Amino acid sequence: MLSQLRSGNYLSYLLGILASLFLFSVILLAFGYQPLPNLEGLATGSFGSVFLASETFVLMSPLLLAALAFLVPFRARFYNIGVEGQIYVGALATYLAASQLGGFPSVAAIPIVVVAAALGGTLWLALPLVMRIKLNVNEIFPTLVMNFVAIDLVNWLTAGPIKAPGSANLETPFLPTSTWLPVIPGTPLDLGVFIAIVAAIAVYFIVYRTVLGFEIRASGANPRAAKGGGVDVSRSILAVGLISGSLAGLAGMVVVAGQEHLLAQNFSPGYGYNGISVSALGAFHPLGSTVAAVLYSALWIGGEGLQRGFEAVPIQLVFALQAIIVLSVLVVQRLFEERRSRGR
Amino acid sequence: MVVNLGDLTVSILAASLTLTMPILYASVGEVYAERSGVLNMSIEGIMTLAALVSLWVTYSTGSYLDGIVAAVLAAAAVGVLHSLVTVRIGINQLIAGLLIYSLAGAIADFGYGLLTQKTFPIIHPIRPVYIGGLSNLPVVGPILFSQNVLVYASFAVALVLGLVLYKTTWGLKVRAVGENPEAADAAGINVNLVRHLCVILGAILAGVGGASLVVGYLGLYNSGDTLVAGRGWIAIVVVIFARWSPYKAIAGSWLFGLGYAIAAVFIGSNIFSSLGPGTGYFLLAIPYIFAIVFIIVFHRGTKPPSSLTVPYKRK
Repeated sequence: MLSQLRSGNYLSYLLGILASLFLFSVILLAFGYQPLPNLEGLATGSFGSVFLASETFVLMSPLLLAALAFLVPFRARFYNIGVEGQIYVGALATYLAASQLGGFPSVAAIPIVVVAAALGGTLWLALPLVMRIKLNVNEIFPTLVMNFVAIDLVNWLTAGPIKAPGSANLETPFLPTSTWLPVIPGTPLDLGVFIAIVAAIAVYFIVYRTVLGFEIRASGANPRAAKGGGVDVSRSILAVGLISGSLAGLAGMVVVAGQEHLLAQNFSPGYGYNGISVSALGAFHPLGSTVAAVLYSALWIGGEGLQRGFEAVPIQLVFALQAIIVLSVLVVQRLFEERRSRGR
Repeated sequence: MVVNLGDLTVSILAASLTLTMPILYASVGEVYAERSGVLNMSIEGIMTLAALVSLWVTYSTGSYLDGIVAAVLAAAAVGVLHSLVTVRIGINQLIAGLLIYSLAGAIADFGYGLLTQKTFPIIHPIRPVYIGGLSNLPVVGPILFSQNVLVYASFAVALVLGLVLYKTTWGLKVRAVGENPEAADAAGINVNLVRHLCVILGAILAGVGGASLVVGYLGLYNSGDTLVAGRGWIAIVVVIFARWSPYKAIAGSWLFGLGYAIAAVFIGSNIFSSLGPGTGYFLLAIPYIFAIVFIIVFHRGTKPPSSLTVPYKRK
């Protein structure tokens, strides 16, 4: 049964991705681009060299952390659409903490920055979390709306109070180098990539191998039955909220401390929203989402290559392709599910 | 700088009605989608795509009507996609909506890239209608009687669709399908057909809302979702505030229109520049802070349609 389910899943990915690539080729043709060289360009542009593959993994890290931040509470049926805003506040906390830690050695500074980022992300989820637990207000809209407040907050601070003096850009000064995440020499691969992968494995263990994880999944599968079975649903929701906010904060941290080394206005090209797509593509499973995040970021890095490439295909077409792939896979999965339940 | 508070209030109130328009179209459409049981989270993307299409077509043909019609067709196409995957196939409505939001936004920005290869499109927004002597009245003249036809139409659409929802058989069917699809089905209503139509109607109105922002207000497009700038999400929040009523959506949309107007007027007048650079950005957060306060204050007694987000399959 299990293996049958799995093979159906793999088939749905294969069919979904093939259908999307076919549609993408048709779109390319329609706008006068050549499909095959550009599809090849997507592959070589994302994995064609050690440098490009490293870039793919570097972009994977915030996407994967954002996907985990969405999927953990999703398993308890708590929809955190506010990952994007929590990423911004995590990034802000990263800057605020790191800028004070100039004299500290990296071994001390980096853990402090990591904790600050996790607290920042969690802080931004706190209000919707309390509204859900204490007032029973659905979290979808409070979390969503908090995104815009977070972005405006960072826009304001990076334009005024914490702006780098004299800089033409709306961004903060560089962080002290002791707070930069270390990189593997000769590559762009930084500690953030490993933090993201370790987080995925940790989430896997929490969700599938602990009592808390069982309670989370029970609360999500059937809240009433879980309550009847002695699960404290509010406690599960509080737990997933804290985990989710922390992961989102870390996503902001890996960008600021690992990649850009400063906090810039609009630094996130929608990592939070894309993380939701990644987790859906990964079937809301931490390890599936890891694979999905690599695929997603490969398309993105490959797409940037196409934009610089011989036909200068605009990257928006690749963004459209990403959405089409996830939609197609979800549709095929749903159709398979229906066939299975009818066949029973 | 001496600011005349009376003039400032009048210009804020006049702008608030203009800024109500795009939110009102979109939220009334979303009321229908949600009343029938479908949450459409792609409103923001539909508005963005429709905004671009209305600019492109109005710019090339010189006709506002052509621009709006083209925007409606594009929006309806996205609505068909949304209703196919959520109503016919039945995938998670929240995820589907977010994906379609990304898809529509990407297509709009791609289109804008194509358009700006050759030209930089800007149009004159539709002129306000000056209603005889009424427009010259002090205070109410500039606020109520100097708006363009799309603003007046948005209020009319909300009133008419309120009547349809509460006073016609078709409206009864929509409400029945959202509250109790099994009973509606037993009574001979084609549940999924009603849902398809409501999602497409909702998308069309979001499209009119996006087009109204360009044709009836700004006259241009900005890429990267800086044009619609959250109005689609706000429209969804308005639906909750309005407790799924097209009438109350008028009040809800106006409150947010007021929030946007306060932000716009203050940013334009530089009153806050003495508070330091960048403060204007924080004023942009006003409508969203409004939204959170509203959700906290008005959450009691809000009960969404019972089958919202639950796909219907015949047993």
